[in-house]
Order: sequence, then structure tokens, then C-alpha cells
Amino acid sequence: MDWQLVWDSFPLIWKGAQFTITLTAWSLLFGTAGALVLALMRLSSVKLLRWFAAGFGWLFRGIPLLILLFFAFFALPDLNVGPVDGVLLEPFQAAVLALSFWTAAYQAEVIRSGIIAVDPGQAEASEALGMTKAHYMRKIIIPQGLRIMVPPYIGNSMTLLKQTSLTTLVTVPEMTLLTQRLFSNDFQFQERIAALAILYLALTTVFVVAQQVMERSFRLKV
Amino acid sequence: MAPLVEITGLHKSFGKVEVLKGVDCEIERGEVVAVIGPSGSGKTTMLRCVNLLERPSAGRIEVDGRVLCEEQPDGKMKFAPKDAIREAREHVGMVFQRFNLFPHMTALHNITEAPMAVKGASKQDAESRAHELLESVGLGHKADAYPLQLSGGQQQRVAIARALAMDPTLMLFDEVTSSVDPELAGEILLVMKRLAEQGMTMLVVTHEMGFAAEVADRALFIDHGLVVEQGKAADLLGNPQHQRTRAFLRAVLDRAPMEESDEPVRSPEEIKSQTERELLLQQQKVERIAKEDGG
Amino acid sequence: MREFDWSVIGRSGDLLMAGTRLTVGLFLAALVLATALGLILALMRLSPVRPLRWFAGTYIWIMRGIPVFVTLLFAFFVARDLPGFGWLTPIWAGVIGLGIDGAAYKAEIIRAGIMAVDHGQHEASEALGMTKAHYMRRIIIPQSIRVIVPTYMSNSILLLKATSVAVGIGLVELTGITRQLSNSTFRPIELFTAAAFIYLVLTTVLVLLQEFLERRFALKT
Repeated sequence: MDWQLVWDSFPLIWKGAQFTITLTAWSLLFGTAGALVLALMRLSSVKLLRWFAAGFGWLFRGIPLLILLFFAFFALPDLNVGPVDGVLLEPFQAAVLALSFWTAAYQAEVIRSGIIAVDPGQAEASEALGMTKAHYMRKIIIPQGLRIMVPPYIGNSMTLLKQTSLTTLVTVPEMTLLTQRLFSNDFQFQERIAALAILYLALTTVFVVAQQVMERSFRLKV
Repeated sequence: MAPLVEITGLHKSFGKVEVLKGVDCEIERGEVVAVIGPSGSGKTTMLRCVNLLERPSAGRIEVDGRVLCEEQPDGKMKFAPKDAIREAREHVGMVFQRFNLFPHMTALHNITEAPMAVKGASKQDAESRAHELLESVGLGHKADAYPLQLSGGQQQRVAIARALAMDPTLMLFDEVTSSVDPELAGEILLVMKRLAEQGMTMLVVTHEMGFAAEVADRALFIDHGLVVEQGKAADLLGNPQHQRTRAFLRAVLDRAPMEESDEPVRSPEEIKSQTERELLLQQQKVERIAKEDGG
Repeated sequence: MREFDWSVIGRSGDLLMAGTRLTVGLFLAALVLATALGLILALMRLSPVRPLRWFAGTYIWIMRGIPVFVTLLFAFFVARDLPGFGWLTPIWAGVIGLGIDGAAYKAEIIRAGIMAVDHGQHEASEALGMTKAHYMRRIIIPQSIRVIVPTYMSNSILLLKATSVAVGIGLVELTGITRQLSNSTFRPIELFTAAAFIYLVLTTVLVLLQEFLERRFALKT
């Protein structure tokens, strides 16, 4: 193993990191927004909304992300329905679209589980005190639910970061694709892949540490 | 004859907190000793040191001729080797506040598991003894029931039978009625009373003053990690000499039974749903530790 | 305006089924490897021997920190160059790559399950004079299974979906065959929808299995 080559690979592969990180950021943004909507729908008293949210979750968590990616990139251009004459997306756009839907489905579960995990006694006490549901959801339940949600939310975000590696297959020039380009030129597979692994490890360890810090502070405050 | 249990200079600290500050106690064969005191006084810790579920920070413990731990000349603590401790525990039975029955086994299996695995008893012998013991605690008809199908009082009686199945020379009771409905506590105390009458040596940490006065030979009042007063049970409880003992007994006996225990009294229904909630918490713990994304 | 031609699914049925069989086979083989390896890692993590704990901990940190795609690339390209591994075809690389990645997650799930069993069970067993080996086997681990099953199953569903990543090392499982078919028939919407449907069927089967197992291992009340 040529460690010098590994070291030299870092700056080259890191050029792809901007895509890794921006993909993650945008997908988290849109995905979390979607997840909030879905979670509210799941918890609503309107059966139709609950069903839709449950169905959405079942669909987007039941199929592999790669299928979503390929659908967004290869299939949407062929979508000729009504006024739509095919949706042609750039690789980056297709990736964000697919990743956002995927994230929304998973984070919706995190949000819903977090709210449910709050001791039902809290709601009972609030109602006994005469508070409206809107009020105690906002001031009592959600703040406590947030503390429960944060660690798994961070865990999911870390998974999202790892999943951006799949966008290589729809030609997004993030870290994994750049690494493949490097070793298809000089066949130094071991060193290039090792460098790639180390860079991913660096990025994900940030999330791992953040998650542990959040968990600890949650435990102390209880 | 030498005392069955000799505790000398028992100290125990948890981190910086010293819970036991030098406890001495001797228990003769056939004696029933009650230990009373406020919560946090160290009485449960003292009990748990006798079968080394807690390792003393200092002091000497000898049970039935076996030295479990003692202080070396250089001040360090020396503990008996692991297998010696394990072997010693075959002769010391313990009943816990939260029963700790094996939930995935029937009452019968709970009782036969240890004799078969540890003492090499045959299945036949173990089972017939188990049936005997269940009869003696009034649960002969519940041999095939699972713990969660039983009330708190019934579970605790099975726990007592389980400990007795090992033919111990000493029985340790750790606030065994505190997690049980007041009206079910009586059936447990009755079993313990009969056990005492049969001559079992017992060390009982309890809040049940009536039981202590009636059944115990001697009583110890522990407060802040030290034995404040000890003497004949009826004397100590009826006519305490020490001011702190008097204050404690006054506080305990003036209040309703509800407030005696450290843990809130729970009904069998509450215990069952508590178990369900504990399962949910366990599963959440698993998910947190496994740190897998939601799915 | 192009119409949908759903009959292309029927005509491609054989190939889609072949891809599905490969997906399922890959999933089962990787699951067995991941569980076996995960069990060993969990025991290492729980062992009193510090180097074992450290090794398992590091392994888990690395495998969970890098994307499964990178692990697969590693398995395929790197192992291929090592002596003795020349026979590493995409299928083997897929099984091994998914297996060693999955093991890290299974290990944590098993460990967490064992630790989740109430401490009072340990104490009662010790008070009765049982050896640790005995009560781990008869008391703790049977109870831990109840706690482990849900998370183990949901993690296994993730593994099933992860088999699709093997397309990146040239394995023609369900996702791979679907892409090839859509390239040759120019019917991506119909074909990817079919693939999505097949995956949903597979994952739903696993979800039902999970619910069955949860009921089967529940404590009798």
C-alpha cells in the first residue's frame, strides 16, 4: 500500500466533496420540510391524510434509493402525461429530487416516533389543566419530542450523506465518481479507495460525534 | 456455636458517596433479624453485601465459615475468588424487591432451573421439590403459569420458592413487599413467618413494622450508613431508646402504609402495563444504541 | 404524445424474474454472513478482553462510517488484486461486501438487545449461584431475542434494498436488469415501476414476517 499515493489522493477526491455536501444539505432541507408535513398528516384526525402519509412512507421506504434515482434520471424524461412533455433533469437535480423524497419518508418516521414517545401522561395533565391541543402540542409535547428526535434525525442525516455515493451512477461528480475516474486511469485501486474511505469516515464521524453529544445532553436534562 | 453471619466494619462507597460507614452485625443460626431505616440509609446495600452483589469498600464478611471478603494488612480489600463466591451463593437465598422472576419461564421452571443447572439435580427430583415448594407457598395450582399471568403477591411467593429450592442456610429479603399492593403483602409475610417458625436464618430489610415486631428476634435501625440502635425486635420497636429511632418510627407509623415504601405501591395491572412500557423502552434503547436510520 | 406500454413488463418477465432471484439470493447469503459475523462482533464488544472490544469497536465504526457502495468497490477491486482472491466475481464481491457492511449493524443490534435485558435478571441468576455462561445462555439471551427481533428485521429490510447497490459493481440483479431492459426497450417508466413493485412485494413480505416474529416471541401475559 503506497501511503504517499493515498495522501496525494485526498485533494483530488475532496473536489467531489462539495457535491457530497451540497447534495446532503439540499436534500435535508427539502426532505425535512416534507417530513414535517408528512408527520403532521400522520398525526391528524383526518383519515385520508393519515392514509396518504402512511402510503407515502410505505412506498418510499419500501423501494431502494437507487430505483428512485434511476426513475428521476432515466424515467422522468419519458413522462408524457397531459401537458407534461417529459421532465428532463440534470444529474444534480435528479439526485436532489430522489434524495429529498427518500429523506422525507424516513425523517417523517423519526418525527412521528419522537412525538409518540413523549409520555402520554403529559398530554393528559395538559388536558386536565384545560389547555387546548394546539397549545400543549406546541409548548409541552413538541419541545420534549424534539429532544427525543434529534439523535435519530442526525443518524438518518449521516445515512443520507453516505447514500450520496450512489449518485455516482447517475453521473454526479461527487467523491466516489472522482475516485473511480482516478483508478480507472492508473489502476491503483487500493490506494484510491482507501483515500475515499478515509474521507467518508471523516465526514461521517462528525455526525457520529454530534449524535453522541446530543444523546448525552438529552440524558442529562431528563 | 459460631454465628452464621459475621459482618465487621462494613464500608461501601459509590464513587464519592459513602453509603455504609462502618456496620457491624452478627446473626446466629435460626435468628431472624429485621433491618429498618429511612430510604438511602444503606440498609439494602448492607444486605446486598452479604451475598456480594455489592462489593464492600472495606470490612470483613464471613458467612457459614466462608470468608467472602476481608481487609489485608496493607489496607487493600481481598475478595474470595469468583467460583468460591458462586459456590457460597448456592447456600444463600435472596428475594428481591422487584421479584426478578424469569419472565420467559413458567413458575415451575423458574424454580427448577437453578437446582438442575447448579446442583445437578435430576429433572424428576427438581420438579417434585418445586411442586412441594409451590404447595407450601400456596401456589400448587400455578405451576404452569407464566410470571406475567400472576399477581405481584403470587410472583413474590414464587420468587421465595425459587430461592428455597436451593436449600439455603440463610435467606436474604430485600423489601420484598414494597412493590406489592398492601392487601397482597399479607400473603407474602405469612410465608415468611412460617419460614421463620421452621427455623430458617433470615435477614430481612423491611418497612413492615408489624411483621418485624411479631416475627423478628432482633432488629437493627440503620441511618446514614451506621447502626444507630439494635436489640430485641419487640423492645426496639415498642420502646426505642435512641432519639433518632424514635423519630423514624413516629414518622413511619403515623403515616398511611402508602408512604412507607421507597417505591410507590403499584397494583398488578400497573405492574403489567409497566412491564409493557419497559419492553417499549428496551426496544427504544436498542434502536438508539444501534443508531440505525428509521425503518 | 407517447402512450404507456405496460405489456413490455410481461415480455420482459423472464429477465425480471432472473434479476429478482439474484436479488433474493444475494440478500439471503449476505444476511447469513452479516448475522454470523455480527454475532461474533457483538460478543467481542461485550467481552472483558480490551483488545477484542477495541478491535470490534473500530471495525464497527469504520463499516458504519463508509457507504456500502465504497465497501462493495473495495470488495470487488481490492480483493481481486490480493493473492488468493482472483476468483472474486461480482456475486462473491456482492455477498462479501454487503455481509461485512451489514455485520457492523447486526453487531450493534445484538449487543444492544443483550444489554437491554433488565439487570435484575443478572442479579437473580447470580444470587442463585448460576455461572455467567449458564445464565447468559438460559436467561439473558432468550429474553434479548424478544427485544432484538424488531430492529433486526427492519435492518434486514434495509439490507434487501442495499442489494440494489451491487449494480455499481456490475452485478445484474433486479435493478441492474431493469436498467439494461429500459435501455434496450426505451420504456423506463414501465420497467422501473415494475421493479419498484417487485421490491415493494419483497419488503412487505419481510414486514409481515417481522410482525409474525414479534408476536411469536412476545411474553405470555
